[in-house]
This record gives sequence, C-alpha cells and structure tokens, in this order.
Amino acid sequence: MNPALLRHTFGANALRFAVIAAGLVLMGVIMPLMYAAFGEEMAAFIESVPFFRQVASSFGSGDLFSLAGTVALAFEHPFTLLLVGIMAIAFPALAIAGERDKGTLEVTLSRPISRRGLLATLLLAGVVFVAGLVGVLALTAGVTVVLVGFGDEIELANLAQLWLMAGLFFSVLLALAFAISVDSDRAGPAIGIPAVFILLNYLAYAIGGIWPDVGVLEDWSLFNLLRAREVLIDGAALSDALVMLGLIVLLLAIAFYRFPRRDLPAPA
Amino acid sequence: MAAIVTEALSKSYHGHGSPFHRASTVRALHDLSIEVREAEIFGFLGPNGSGKSTTIRLLLGFLHPSAGRASVLGHDIAGESETIRARVGYLPGGIAFYDSMTGAEQLDYLSRLDGRPSPLRGELVERMELSRRDLGRQIRDYSRGMRQKVGIIQAFQSDPDLAILDEPTEGLDPLMQRAFYEILEDRQRAGRTIFMSSHVLSEVERVCDRVAIVRRGELVALTDISALLDRRRRRVELRLDGESPDLEHVPGISEVHIHEGVLTCQLEGDPGPLIAALQGVGLRDLLIEPARLEEAFMEYYAEDEASAGGAGEAA
Repeated sequence: MNPALLRHTFGANALRFAVIAAGLVLMGVIMPLMYAAFGEEMAAFIESVPFFRQVASSFGSGDLFSLAGTVALAFEHPFTLLLVGIMAIAFPALAIAGERDKGTLEVTLSRPISRRGLLATLLLAGVVFVAGLVGVLALTAGVTVVLVGFGDEIELANLAQLWLMAGLFFSVLLALAFAISVDSDRAGPAIGIPAVFILLNYLAYAIGGIWPDVGVLEDWSLFNLLRAREVLIDGAALSDALVMLGLIVLLLAIAFYRFPRRDLPAPA
Repeated sequence: MAAIVTEALSKSYHGHGSPFHRASTVRALHDLSIEVREAEIFGFLGPNGSGKSTTIRLLLGFLHPSAGRASVLGHDIAGESETIRARVGYLPGGIAFYDSMTGAEQLDYLSRLDGRPSPLRGELVERMELSRRDLGRQIRDYSRGMRQKVGIIQAFQSDPDLAILDEPTEGLDPLMQRAFYEILEDRQRAGRTIFMSSHVLSEVERVCDRVAIVRRGELVALTDISALLDRRRRRVELRLDGESPDLEHVPGISEVHIHEGVLTCQLEGDPGPLIAALQGVGLRDLLIEPARLEEAFMEYYAEDEASAGGAGEAA
C-alpha cells in the first residue's frame, strides 16, 4: 500500500467520482418521489393489464408500484449500472492498462513500489469509489424516503444490507476489470471485455425473466445475485453474498498472481 | 563493488501461434555479460531494436529474464527489484507525465513515491533553466525539451547512487545538452554511477568512460572509450613543399597515396614514429584527423551488414 499513490489516485478521480455521485443522487431522489407521486396509480394500471402484471412480476425485482420495488429500481436501473459500472470498470482499466499504454505506469513503477503494492493501493481506491457511490445512492434514497413520509415502510437495516450487496455486486465487476487490466496493454480491451460481460449478464437476466423456457439464463446471471427488492423486504441472502465474495477473491487472486509475473513492454 | 553486473542475461519473447501461423520466438537479448563500475559513466550503444531498452527494462524489473542473471548495486534483479529501485534514478526514453499536473506537482509526487528527500532539486532546476513560472505550468503546455528537462530532474533529484538514462538528451537544445553533461560529470565526481543509452555518439564520446556496443541483442564490444579511439585508424594529410617522404615502412602507417603534392595515409596508434619520419621534410600543412567513436561504431555495423549480406547470398 502506498499512501502517495493512494492520495494521487483519489485526487485524479475526484471529479469523475463527483459527477457520477451527482447522477446517483438524482436517481436516489427521483425514484422514491415517483413512488410518492404515482405509486398508487401505477399499481392500479399494472393490475389492470395482465401482460404488464406478468412482466412486472417476472423481470427483475424493481417496480414503480411498491416502495421497496421503487428503491430497488434505483439500484438496478441501467442508468445506475452505467454510472457505477463506469467507475468499477473504467477505473482499473485506465489506472493499469491505460497508464501502461501512456507510459506513466512505467514512471510510477520505477519508484520503490512493488507491483502487488500498486495493485493493492488501486484496489483500495476502487473499493472506496464503488462503496462510496453505492453509499451515496443508498443514503439519498433513504433520506428521500423518510422526507416524503414513507420512512416506516422500509427497514433502514435492510437498506444498509442492500448497500452492502450492491457494493459486493459492483466489486465483482471491479475485480473482473482488475483481472483483465493486469494482462492488457491497452485500455480498450480492458474496458470492453468486462463491459460485454456485464451486458451479456444483463441480457441473460432480462430474457430469462421474461421467457420462462430459458429461465435458467436468469438464474445464472450475475444480476440474480443482486435481488434488491428481496433484500429490502427480507434482508440479504448470505449465500448470494458469499458467492459474490468468492468471485471477488478468485478474480483478485488471478490479478495479484499475474501482475507481478508478466512483462511490462515499453509504452506505445 | 560493481554497480551493474549481468551474466549471460537473455530475453526472448514468445509470440502466440494460430492455426495459420506458427508461434515465433524473438530473441531480444542474448548472453549479455557486462560489468559497470561504480562512479563511472557508462555508455550503452546500439541501433533501434538492438536490445538497449530491453536491458534497461530487465535491470529495473519491468521485464523478467529468460536466462542469465544480473545484479544492480549488489542486489539481484529477480528478487530485490524494489530495493534496487529505491537507489536508482530512471529516465525512460520519451518520458510520460500526467498532463494535468504542473511540473512542480509532478516532481513533488514522484519524490513522495520515492519516499526520500530531493536534495538536488533546486540545483537541477537552476541548471536546467526552469523558472518557477515554468514549473507552475501544466505539463500539457510543455514543449518536448521542457518535458525532458523535468525528466532529467526527476531522475536525479533524490541523488540516486545509480542513474539509468535512456536517450537522455532527446529534445534538448545544445546549451541544455552541455548543462546536462556537466550534471553527469558532477554526479560522477560525487561518486555516483551513470548508465546511459544513446544514439548520439558524440555525446557518448564526450561524457562516457566506457562503452558497450550491442548488435541484434548481442554484445559486440565492451571497452574504454579512449582505448577504442586509440586503436582507431586516423586519416593523415600532408601538404608537401618539396620531396615526398617514404612513409611505407613507418610503424602504424598504411594506405599511403600521393597526388599533386598532397600525401594521404592512415595512422594507427602512436603518432611518434610518423613525427620522427617527417623530420627535415618540407611541409606546408599537416592534418591528423581525430579518431571518432562514430567510425568505430559504424565499423561494427558494417561488419554486421556484410555478414548479413553474406548470409543472405548463401541462403
């Protein structure tokens, strides 16, 4: 762990973090407000159309006609995935593969810093970014729910568990991006491969949810481990948390094994 | 103790094969054995792709050797890379910085990463003629020469025991090159070692004590600059004012030609016998061209091209 590198990393990503956090604040405020404004009408409309009722009950865990579903939607919405995913995927890719390509990684590693130390420092920064962003969303959603008068309809302890589960979910993406970045010489593939992975998982989750014949796709999607509505109502499933933790450990083990052993070619 | 020792250091890159192409192996460095003494300025010469940067990257732990071993300041490159980098200043070729940082911020940041003070920063900034205003500007606004100046300062600011410099005068104007050479000489006087690769043969000739020449990843010469130049043949031109002397049998003299009162020949080694033979000879002018490293360098490569050409013909 290198304090100078950590400070530099926080400083270099502060603006990106702030912009993404602002987007998540918007998400955390809008969703509970939408429930407060249109929740009952939306519930009545969905109930009146059987097809919508079926889709709403089978695709994802978020909805607009229950408080838990609305807050869950704030965590699972593609906009949220995009925002937090940018940080979880682009940060390791730019900090490792991107800096290697530019030549700044070489200047950093010419100092007395081990490659594992560099990786550990960047990992800590990445976890802080992801946990911080999901925390901003959870905090904003929780505060808004209380302010609009629905505070007694949601377990704040479960909201904290959702923060933890979403943090683990995005940390899986972060760990995947680290595992790919340490073996990439350019940022493009290091961003592209995890992005395609998450897109495929999202498609599998969506198609599997709507089309019962391929329901197995939903079961095997990474998104199935983040069932935000269930977490808000019943609390997090320990097994889901352990699976995500296992994936994180596995991917980081690959990154920490590979990075010190690989040759770092001259910058482009 | 030697500052750098390499023993049969080798590096090969293995390409990835495909159903249509066999995997290929590129030999970037083969059996390099050199020793760089403490407090010397050591030049590492070779054309592009000869293995200079590969050697530097091996010494700093960016690459892992395929065979052989090396130590820097007494530490093995395989297991003690971090310890080595704590005592080495490094200037990569075409150094990259964070464009949004100012020069001063970049130097501060790298000093913090070094984890040691920067006692030489002020002096180096002055000698590289960077003003406080220059250092307060963002690096994205710097010219190539200014980036190189900051690169030189970051390599030396912590007064490292060994500086490894890859093409250090790239982008510097002649005045700054001279200031840089003076920095090297000062560091040498302070007992520090300099290992530099360069394409600029005149600069190597000027500042280096010894030189290694690599060709296609293999060492072809490792010698004192002065010894290398002493062994070089130099062109001699005599403008005669009367009878031409008989120089055919003078030791060290060869290829004697006379044309319209001008005698030219090649001189190898000590010029004393030539001077003695010219006693009493009427001369209007005498020119002995100094030996140049460039000629020695080109000779090594001419041999290489000749052998490559021969191999090509044989094939």
